[in-house]
Amino acid sequence: MGPAFIVPINMQIKLQQVFPNFLEENKISQSGIWKKEIVFNPQEQVEIIAPSGSGKTSLVHFLYGLRNDYSGQILYDEKAINQFNAEDFSTYRQTYLSVVFQDLRLFGDQTVRQNLEIKRLLQPYHHHSPIEMMAARLGIQNKLDKPCKTCSYGEQQRIAIIRSLLQPFEFLLLDEPFSHLDENNRKKAMQLIEEEAAMRKAAILLADLKPIEYFNADKKIFL
Amino acid sequence: MKLHFQHIAPFLSTGQNKASRWMSYIGLGIGVLLLLAAMQMYININSLLQNKNPKKNGFDFIAITKTITNENMAADHSFTAEELNDFKKQPFIDDLSPLIGNKFVMQANGGSSLPFSTDFFAESIDDSFIDTLPPSFTWKPGDPVIPMIVSSDYFEIYNTLFAPSRDLPQFSEKTISSVFIQLDCSGNGNEDAFKGNVVALSDRINTVLLPKRFLEWANKKYAGIDNFNPSRIYIKTKDANNPALLNYLQEKNYHINRDKTKFGRVKQILQAIVSGLAAFGVLVILLAMLLFSFYLQLMIERSKQNLQLLLTLGYSPNWLSKIVSKRWVPIYVSIVGVATLLTELLHFCFQHYIMKDPEALSPLIDWTVLATGLILLTLSIFINQRLVKKLLHRL
Repeated sequence: MGPAFIVPINMQIKLQQVFPNFLEENKISQSGIWKKEIVFNPQEQVEIIAPSGSGKTSLVHFLYGLRNDYSGQILYDEKAINQFNAEDFSTYRQTYLSVVFQDLRLFGDQTVRQNLEIKRLLQPYHHHSPIEMMAARLGIQNKLDKPCKTCSYGEQQRIAIIRSLLQPFEFLLLDEPFSHLDENNRKKAMQLIEEEAAMRKAAILLADLKPIEYFNADKKIFL
Repeated sequence: MKLHFQHIAPFLSTGQNKASRWMSYIGLGIGVLLLLAAMQMYININSLLQNKNPKKNGFDFIAITKTITNENMAADHSFTAEELNDFKKQPFIDDLSPLIGNKFVMQANGGSSLPFSTDFFAESIDDSFIDTLPPSFTWKPGDPVIPMIVSSDYFEIYNTLFAPSRDLPQFSEKTISSVFIQLDCSGNGNEDAFKGNVVALSDRINTVLLPKRFLEWANKKYAGIDNFNPSRIYIKTKDANNPALLNYLQEKNYHINRDKTKFGRVKQILQAIVSGLAAFGVLVILLAMLLFSFYLQLMIERSKQNLQLLLTLGYSPNWLSKIVSKRWVPIYVSIVGVATLLTELLHFCFQHYIMKDPEALSPLIDWTVLATGLILLTLSIFINQRLVKKLLHRL
């Protein structure tokens, strides 16, 4: 169970006529998201299927507030995020919004454990650190005290997934989270993600190149 | 569990550029020490040199004339009304009185009991400037006796030099008041004889004083002069060594007894030296702060990727800047604290090994020095915090 002091807000994400400034017109017109009115509701499991070059990673970055080179508006709970300052984003990122980036974004010089702890300590969700347990489930428990940069890409992907699950969230953004995992590890990772999301009654937005058969999406959108 | 700087430290390249960091610490320490020590010395000099002259009621009374040089010998050396007004307006002057001299011929002789005769001079001044003012020091037209107040120096010279050389009797301070001398005033077709009586001696004013009313009356009668500019004035001031007063006198080319203000000159020079030291201290502090800001910029630039990632993960830039800048608070406190202690030590050594009279100064450094230390400390912490915040928000 999560700590009592985190107030659920039933977070909702809305896209109003959003499209990347740099994307070709024909890609925008064929898309199921760009230049449309889209609402991601609480607890919804959404799969976004996006071929290369359709702006998948850009969408994740827009949604997470890392970039703003788009037209239209993205709203968290009816608040336009282009009006947010760094402090507003940090509030959402600590408590309501978690992410696995396609490029992972880990601290290469630090150990795996340091990478996970620095996220967990910021806003812990679990009463006891689940790091050992999660690392064991995903098969990287013996890597915890190794520098991150010495791990393989597949291992780093699992580290990034675990890191995203160490905080409270109502939305989990996943950008090609399993690209370097084998079938077995994909299933284990997906299972862990769904368990943790269910515990938090959180929504999942999974963006990938092709559909992932063991993800029980409520909604599939082609970007 | 609360997050501390230790959790963040591995992600920052704080260990880089140790040399420049230590240089900036040392520089800051030296600068603060210089500034505080210079301030304390300034205060010491001030309090030591303030009480060097005999004062009456906390005031100095000084005679001032215009300087007579070879070039201006023939010029008029009296003070005009504007000059007196300007002088009076100066903040370091508490009061000012012109000395009015006799503009007619005056001769004194002792009569049969004191066989001497001499040309004579006298002056008058506002009563408030006289240190020994008996009630009998008044005169009105028709009074045959004029009360006189004579400088103690003149009295001593009479007793030790003049009287023995002329076989005249010597007087004590008490008996002098029983002596009457004859004062002959003449001019403008008039000639009168008055009796002069010494009613008091003055340590302050170096002249023969007659009541103001008499001299005004006599100047009119025997010289036909009603109003004229004084060539000598007396000023009343709290501190004859006040550099502002000395500068004013120098600028106006007024002459003053050097002995009365010699400590003022010494003080001026010493204060200039310690002010220079203080300014140098400020400069060193600024340079040290600059060096430290370079170190911070470099550290944040080197840790830029990590810091950006921390922000991406949800770390608040305000929290980060607070916790990063907090790291230097104990260091700043120790630097300023050590500098303050060293200032106290220097002050103590100055008092005990250099000064002859340690009692004249407080053994503790002045509160203004302490306050300056605190202000410097607050300022450096504040500047540091602002800088870190600015650098982090720029990421």
